[in-house]
Amino acid sequence: MGKDGAMGGKTEVRLPDLGDIESAVVVEWLRPVGSRLHEGDDLVEVETEKTTFVVPSPVAGVLSVVRVRNGEHVRVGEVLGSIDA
Amino acid sequence: MESTYESVRSLGRSTPRAVLAYVRLGRMAYDEALDIQRRTHAMRAAGLVGDVLFTVEHDPVFTRGRSAKDGGFRVGLDDVARAGIAVRDVERGGDVTYHGPGQMVAYPILDLRQHGRDVKAHVRWLEEAAIRTLGRYGLTAGRRDGLPGVWTDRGKIASVGVSVRSWVSMHGLALNVAVDAAHFAMINPCGLPVKAVSMNDILETPAALSDVEAKFVDAYAQVLGVRWEKADVAEILEAVHE
Repeated sequence: MGKDGAMGGKTEVRLPDLGDIESAVVVEWLRPVGSRLHEGDDLVEVETEKTTFVVPSPVAGVLSVVRVRNGEHVRVGEVLGSIDA
Repeated sequence: MESTYESVRSLGRSTPRAVLAYVRLGRMAYDEALDIQRRTHAMRAAGLVGDVLFTVEHDPVFTRGRSAKDGGFRVGLDDVARAGIAVRDVERGGDVTYHGPGQMVAYPILDLRQHGRDVKAHVRWLEEAAIRTLGRYGLTAGRRDGLPGVWTDRGKIASVGVSVRSWVSMHGLALNVAVDAAHFAMINPCGLPVKAVSMNDILETPAALSDVEAKFVDAYAQVLGVRWEKADVAEILEAVHE
């Protein structure tokens, strides 16, 4: 389908562009490593400007890597984790 | 950057002729209103309804956001229980806050994809609507750098806390009209050692909550650049049965 992380690949989960902000704090991973995910599943919750934002899984697959822990600051575009197709 | 928000009359980037459905819930327990918010959020995310704004006056309750720390309460939780005030943990951002009689709470359930995909702007628009509302009563209020909410020189008058899932917002802003100061004194609002103030602490002629709600809805629709229409909650929630 021409999507990032095609068959057998790895897709990075990045902090999306949330508008006029540069960074956010990871509140909680909502799914543990090893979870099987559908595209769009709630994956990790971040907070900025008194707002929590739930980052969805960009693809279907298995959550293989969690790169940032709860409480850590992440910048927009930074890799949060990876999903194996 | 802040000045760009101030420089235009309508701050939102909404699609033309967008309509905001406004539902006045009246006095309602926190849990009941939360259930209505969650159901409306699901329907907005599914595209079954358009943007909705709720206003409500809650029974006394303390709510703790996702980043609430232990220092939020100035008294023990047993004292809170003795005062008959419930405590709830919720999905919004921010620390502990108080809701109760004499406070106007506004919950916009908006699809932020249709308003510029900007979570910071969403908070600013709520604050701006509160600032304009206060201005209608001759009260001067504003923002403080790094401290979301609305402030007067007498203290913090409105608090914000939002959650966004599937790009649809929940929770919102609480504006103190005539709040029981003893209840507020049990916490550090939003985790800060600051004083909470109500409109009627400052105004010579007390404001009525219903009048504040009406002015806020006008101001918020103006800030978003939409028109609003009155709706009732059944109308919104029954769309799911169609």
